[in-house]
Parts: sequence; C-alpha cells; structure tokens
Amino acid sequence: MHKNASLALSLLIMIVSGYGVVAATAWPWKAALFPLVIGVPLFALAAAEALWTLFGAEPASEEARDFQLSIGTDTVHRTLVAAGWIFAFFAAIVLIGFPIAVPLFVFLYLKLQGREGWGISIAITLGTWAVFYGLFDLLLHLPFPAGWLLSWSGFSS
Amino acid sequence: MLEALLEGLVLVLQWKALAFMLLGILLGFWVGLLPGLGGATTLALMLPFVYTMQPVEAFAFLLGMHSVTATTGDITSVLFGVPGEAASAATVLDGYAMAKKGEAGRALGAALASSLVGALVGAVALAAAIPIVRPLVLTFGSPELFMLSLVGLAFISALSSPGGRGMLRGFLAAALGLFLATIGQDPQAGVARYALGTLYLWQGLDLVPVLVGLFAIPEIIDLVVRGTSIAGAVPAGKISHGAFEGVKDTFRHFWLTIRCSLIGTFIGILPGMGGAVAQWMAYGHATHSARTAEERKGFGRGDVRGVLGPGAANNSKEGGALIPTIAFGVPGSTSMAILLGGFFLLGLVPGPDMLSKHLPVTFSMVWTIVIANVITVIACFALLNKLAQLTTVRGALLIPVILVLVFIGSYTSNNHYGDLVVTLLFGAVGYFMVLAGWPRAPLVLGLVIGKIAENNLYISIARYEGAWLTRPVVLVLIAITLAVIVYPLFQARRRAAARA
Repeated sequence: MHKNASLALSLLIMIVSGYGVVAATAWPWKAALFPLVIGVPLFALAAAEALWTLFGAEPASEEARDFQLSIGTDTVHRTLVAAGWIFAFFAAIVLIGFPIAVPLFVFLYLKLQGREGWGISIAITLGTWAVFYGLFDLLLHLPFPAGWLLSWSGFSS
Repeated sequence: MLEALLEGLVLVLQWKALAFMLLGILLGFWVGLLPGLGGATTLALMLPFVYTMQPVEAFAFLLGMHSVTATTGDITSVLFGVPGEAASAATVLDGYAMAKKGEAGRALGAALASSLVGALVGAVALAAAIPIVRPLVLTFGSPELFMLSLVGLAFISALSSPGGRGMLRGFLAAALGLFLATIGQDPQAGVARYALGTLYLWQGLDLVPVLVGLFAIPEIIDLVVRGTSIAGAVPAGKISHGAFEGVKDTFRHFWLTIRCSLIGTFIGILPGMGGAVAQWMAYGHATHSARTAEERKGFGRGDVRGVLGPGAANNSKEGGALIPTIAFGVPGSTSMAILLGGFFLLGLVPGPDMLSKHLPVTFSMVWTIVIANVITVIACFALLNKLAQLTTVRGALLIPVILVLVFIGSYTSNNHYGDLVVTLLFGAVGYFMVLAGWPRAPLVLGLVIGKIAENNLYISIARYEGAWLTRPVVLVLIAITLAVIVYPLFQARRRAAARA
C-alpha cells in the first residue's frame, strides 16, 4: 500500500513538473526563472523516488515524522465511506448552498452514518445551524450563495 | 527610556484602553478558534472602528485582538487536527497526535504556556531592539533573505524523515511546495502561470484551503476508519488532568522554548516572512534538538517538544514583526501592513517619531502584547481540561461538526467554490502523503515561503547577477544549508558503521 501510494505520487509529480517545465519555456525569463529552477530538480527528485520505490529495498524504519493511518479489517471500505461523505457534502454545498447543505449534511450524517437517536441528531443539527447562521450570516454578513441548483431553478432571490 | 516604559504601562492600564483590550481579546479568542477566519482578516474588519479612538486605545484593541488569535488557534489544532490559523498548522503534527493518545490537556497546557513565553520574549525583544534594530535589518538584503528561505527548507526537509530515503522525500515535498507557490500571476512579467484558464488561480493558491485540506481531511478520514472518539480508549480521567503537566513541560524544555521564541522573533523582524514560516522553522529546530534518532522518531507522533516550538514561535513573532513596522514603516507581514493602516488612520507616522516623541505609545504596544497574552492564557487554563474532554466525544458526533468547520473555514478565505475544490484536492494529496510515509511539513513551508523566495531570487539576480553568491552572509548561510543536509547523512553512516 505504501509502495503503491509512493509510486503514484511520484508519477503524478513527474507529470505535473514535466508539464510545468515545458509550459515555462514559452514565458519571458522573468516569469520562467523560478518555475524552471524548481521544476527541473522536482522532476529529478520525483524520478529518483519512483526508481527507488520500483527497484530499491523498502526500509521499515524510514517513515515520516507524521501521524500513521489506522489499519483495521475493513479499512478500505471505511475510507471510501468517509471520502464519499466528504464529497457528498461538497456536492451539496455547490448544488443547494451552505444554508441548506449544512443542516442537511449534519442531520443525515448523524442519522445514517452515526446511527444516533432522533433527539441528539436534531439537537446537534439545530446547534450547528444556529452557530452557522448567527455567526457567519447575521454577525459577519459573509456572502453564502444559494447554490447552482436553486439559482438555476429560480428558488433563490 | 525607563520612564517611557512605565508611562506606556500606565497608558494601557487606563480603564478605557483596558476595556478596549478586553473586547479585542474576546474577539481574537473566537476568531482564533474558527478555522479560516484569520487574524489579518479580523484586523481589516475592525480597522474602521478605531477612527474615533485615541492611539493607545486603538492599539490596545487591535493588538490585543491580534496577539491572542495565534494562541487560541492552537486549541483547534490540538483538539481536532484542524488548524485554527495558518500560523497554527505545525501544532497539528504533534498536538493532535498527543490528543489521540489521550494527552490533549497536556498538549493544550504546553501550547498555551509556550505561547505565553513566546509572547513575553517577543515583547522584550521589541523593547530591547528599538535602539539597535536598524543595522540588523539593513544587513539582510534580498540575497540573504533568499538564502535564509533555503536554510529553513533544508532544516525541515532534512529532519522531517529519517535516513537518506526520508531526506529525498523531504526535499521532494519541499520542492513540490515551492513549485505550487509559482501558480498564479507572476509579479515580474505579469504572466498567469498554471492558472488553467481560471481567474481563481490568478492570485495563486490560498494558504488556508490548502492547509485545512492537507491536515484536516486525512485526520477526519482516519477518525471515521477508527470509529472511536479522538482519544480512542484512553480513560476520561487521564485526559482531564494534563494541563498542568504541559506547563511543566514548558519549563522542562525551557531553553528550547526560548530558542524557538527567538527564532520566531527573528523571522518576525524579516519583511515578508510571517508567522506561518516562523512556526515551521521552530518545528524544524525542535526536531533538530532531539539528540538521538530514537528520540526523533517520536516527532509527529506526539512529542511535546513539537508543540512547544511552534507554540512559542508563532506568538513571539508578533513582537518581532512590530519592530520594522514601528521603526521604519516596513510591515513584516499582512497583519502588520493592516496595522500600519491603523497608524495612518490615527495620525501617527512610523519612523523616528515613534522612537522619540511617541515612545510611550510604542511601549504601550509592548505592554498590550504582554497583558493580552497573560489574560488569554489565564482564561484558557480555566477551560483547558473541559476543552480536552471534547476528545472523548464519540467520533460520529464530532465528524459532521468538524467537516462543517473545515468547509466554512476554507470557503471564507476567498468566498469562492474554488477554495472547496482546493481543500478536497489537497485533502487527497495529504492522505496519500501520509499513506506513502511522506512528510507534509516541508510541502507547507515550501508553499508558504515560495513567493518570498522567488521575489528575493529575482531581485538578487537582477541586481547583483552572479555576485550575490559571494556576499559574506550568503556564504555563511550556504555553509549552514550544506551542513544541515550533510550532517544527518554523516550521522546515519556513522551509526551504520558502529552497528556493523
């Protein structure tokens, strides 16, 4: 898993930096200087990491000084579920806007994923919505658009 | 001088100035807790309200508010792994790891106590530096500032993963951060680089959505996978009694805290660097302070020194950043640029007058930083153990609320859906980096420092051509960079030889 992730990241960086270097050659030197100074070594470092991953030994002790992901029996399934919820929230925000997406997401997550009771689900949903509306809308007047679906259907003013 | 120092204190303690400071602290406290709403944004929002105030009252309000945002920003970093401020992201690495081990109280205690020490060091530096700052700042031109960026990157890249392979990944992540910093309109020729035809990317990648995605999304996914509370199966009794232990940690590693405070002050003085750079440099130094490879392994997995270093640096940088702002009218960061606007609104001109005619007002700022931080830390300590209990709340109850904070926090940076896309993309990058065992810290420092480094490199070449490489301070900084890279490799080889 580590090996595949490292290889995928290295290849992605090689593609991105390769494109970056080629694109930079068409710019005036003032704009191209830094992307070239960084892009070329970045490509070389990513290539070295990819080659090391493919042909070198994987030393067990050389993990980053960072947190380690938990590994369980159904890690992949749970990871996909988590990613699904995150993406669904994003889609809801874009389609129906923050004011509706926030309470809807909180309530559905608590009921469907958390399997919480009606009382606690409604209480947390109302609390989150009150903080969102009171602080960001009433107090700070931050502009939250209605969402593409509502704008398109003409439900928002 | 002493008279002016005391006069500054008396000015701040007048009831009106004190009341405005308390109001500022209250606002700064909540702004710091909310991800995405930065201290600079709040300063800008509050600037119109200072028109009718006296200078001392206005600075007590603005500085009181600004100096506590970094302190309370650490709280969300530790409890939920979501950086409350861009300048609190480094605290996530070890602070959140401690929370997962049931040591949230200790991590919060350490973050707050080191923040207080940092703020005091920054304030003392501000007071002491007033007569001597000019030659120090003038020593550092663009070549030196560019090399200083490389020293910081070398530190964090070489030390964020052990061994040769780890170093390769560290430098790869740092180079990726620098490369991502080139996205957007370039300042010299005006070319829209890698903007993919969208207006959103013309201004480059905003730091807040990147940081929130990179750090919060992998942690949230992990919380769902674990299916427990943040602190897992750790008994609740242990969690609610650690705050004082964190204070003791600050004094156990007192010299590290002082050194990191000085790093923060120094970075604060340098124009354009800012708190986000200061905390990562301090984190790099804290990692470097570990004597053995075994000791270093604990970083990123809940070593309290990884909390103390950034905690001290991101508060001490305020005093440092005020030095060039007051002395020359050269703001060291975005927040200081906004504060400079406050000077002009109040009819004050930064420069020699602030060090002579208005010296008591200058010292009142020093006292504001000190008093605001003392009040905040005392107020936070009353709540710390209660706050730490949040890590025992079931993950299923916390996750939707944290996700709402994550998306609102990133969206409010530019009020653009592009911020949410950036958060998701960097969430994926952060997840795969953790999965692959790559360090995230060098990527962040590269991204933060990239624009500054590019500007300084361009000015160095345009002004001095190749001769910038022969300037004495540049040569010293090149030597330090090489030593930082070579020394860990030399150490690893020596250990391998000793084992054989």
